[in-house]
Amino acid sequence: MPGLLQSKEMEGSELIWLEALRQKGEAAFEQSGIPTAKTEAWKYTKLRMLNADDFEFPSSEEQTCHCGCHRHDGEDEHCHCEGHDCTCHVDFPFEGYVLRFKNGAFVAPHPKLPEGVEVMTLMEAAHLEEDVKAKLGKLIELDNYPFAALNTAYLEEGLFINIRKGVKLEKPLIIDHLARPQDKNLFWNLRHLIVVENGADAEIIENYRYRGAEKSRYFANIVSEIYVGRNAKLRHYKLQDEAFKACHLALSAVQVKADGNYRHFCAQKGADVGRNEVVVKLVEEGAEARVDAAYKMSGWATLDTTTDIRHLAPHTKSEQLVKGVVDGDAKGVFQGRIHIAPDSQQTEGRQLHQALLLSDRAEVDVKPELEIFADDVKCSHGAASGELDEEQLFYMRSRGIDADEARQILVEAFLDDALMQVEDEAVRIWLKSVLQ
Amino acid sequence: MSALLEIEDLYARVGDKEVIKNLNLTINEGEVHAIMGPNGAGKSTLSYVLSGKPGYEVTSGSIRFKGKDLCSLSTEERAREGIFLCLQYPVEIPGVPVSTFLKHAVNAVRKHQNLPELDTFEFLKTLRAEGKKLGIDNEMLKRPINVGFSGGEKKRLETLQMTILKPVFSILDEADSGLDIDALKVVAEGINALRNEHNSMLVITHYQRLLQYIVPDVVHIFADGHIVKSGDKSLAAELEETGYAAYRNE
Repeated sequence: MPGLLQSKEMEGSELIWLEALRQKGEAAFEQSGIPTAKTEAWKYTKLRMLNADDFEFPSSEEQTCHCGCHRHDGEDEHCHCEGHDCTCHVDFPFEGYVLRFKNGAFVAPHPKLPEGVEVMTLMEAAHLEEDVKAKLGKLIELDNYPFAALNTAYLEEGLFINIRKGVKLEKPLIIDHLARPQDKNLFWNLRHLIVVENGADAEIIENYRYRGAEKSRYFANIVSEIYVGRNAKLRHYKLQDEAFKACHLALSAVQVKADGNYRHFCAQKGADVGRNEVVVKLVEEGAEARVDAAYKMSGWATLDTTTDIRHLAPHTKSEQLVKGVVDGDAKGVFQGRIHIAPDSQQTEGRQLHQALLLSDRAEVDVKPELEIFADDVKCSHGAASGELDEEQLFYMRSRGIDADEARQILVEAFLDDALMQVEDEAVRIWLKSVLQ
Repeated sequence: MSALLEIEDLYARVGDKEVIKNLNLTINEGEVHAIMGPNGAGKSTLSYVLSGKPGYEVTSGSIRFKGKDLCSLSTEERAREGIFLCLQYPVEIPGVPVSTFLKHAVNAVRKHQNLPELDTFEFLKTLRAEGKKLGIDNEMLKRPINVGFSGGEKKRLETLQMTILKPVFSILDEADSGLDIDALKVVAEGINALRNEHNSMLVITHYQRLLQYIVPDVVHIFADGHIVKSGDKSLAAELEETGYAAYRNE
């Protein structure tokens, strides 16, 4: 019976280093297998659905956009297609360079990009760029990340994004992924390599959406490796709005050099099991990271936010604010680790998770971890979960506001201070409206 | 003059405790009644019973508002019918700006009255103008409701809400607590501006001070869950002399 490891013909097999990396990934996944409740890093997030024996890689037909609109010829016009198979017709309420994906594969064309910004498929880059060989797979310890290992075994689809030294990108790059599930249990791996060179400044938005039958199963396994150079800045925003039976597991592994700044915000509301994991290594003095998230869920879903911020140099700083709203029988998971290495003096690491439980059956599991091996540091973590405040509800109702509307206003207000961490106002408004 | 609020033989409890016991009170259109009484007499409970707060249960008797049974209405329905509770301790709501909150409230009331929703521009214009009269600047309207507000600012915001929502029956629960004399004058002026031949008020207070600024038509002394004595405004002054001791063991 085919499980997650199946034979697959892949591009780039003639590159010895790439093939070796894939084999390393495969070996690591074979060794670990699918994590169970006994695996510490996965003890709250159940992955039963991944034991299915009917996973299939999408066919190239299933990864193609058939709308035939002129956007595929690189024309910047609106696509009027309303078809479920179309990747093009969605427009964002802000400008950006849109890179479209369908069922785990890139859909041409590349948008026209300003000078100093390179975007190509990972396989194009693997043949052309020495940097890819030097950087791919270097930020992840495959033995500790089973799904990154699995992703590495199938390393093929995805993008190489390079923002050259000192380049300030005026508009965001938008990686828009459409899941168009068929009546099959599709499985795909996506791998992005993002390099923001010294002094560069960029914004990248990942959008995961679906069309078609919402009860379709599929498994999206996404890994991004991100290098933020000295004095560079990257704002990395993400929306996970997958279909309701989907499994979405994503890992962003980030390295930040001296005075570099990485800001991550993830909004999750879709999928049956959704995990957004962020590992940040602050490797040189003055490196900073903010990793924030908001999630809102009901039904039987599990949404997991896992962070690991490693302060590996003095004078580094990190902050995290994660807020979640859990209704129905759903479960929110937050695992946050702050590691401060010996000699990483004068560092600051802060973390806060707050959850609002809207039903008696809703659950949150929280595991904060501080590992501090230096003595001159400021570190804090906090976690709280509670229900809506009855006094606030009464106050609003006593002014004529309907009880349901009052609840909704309070829920929005609860998520608001996490959303306020999104620096780009247009993106913040968009994420806010999606989470409503 | 027709009756706006009629309370008959009312008994109400909070949890297991009976707090309102055999209360009778009629307030006509255009009248301002004051309820004075010692701490623990049940004055605030009455305000919550009238506004329909969950947990405050009427066990017997009746309350009629504009001739209709009030007890069958939810908190928000009562508000839309024109009942406004000015709280002694207004609640802080982080993340919800004053203007957003009030826009929701105004439109909920307008919808109930079959009036079209106000557009944002029109609404903000009115809100700013009314706010200015109460010493509430535009910055304050953008802040989350009552968060970090001083006692005086909270009371001014309550008064602004009253002004904007135009209730026909306002319950003012210790409207002067936490106010210095200047702030009290501003708040009282705002409240008095709403007095007319149709609007009625129930002013709940422990001290006579407030009643020098909001002069009532009728004063009731409230003890042990019901009214023990009623009179005109001179009763308040009299009470200031004698204190509540005489009514405590009713």
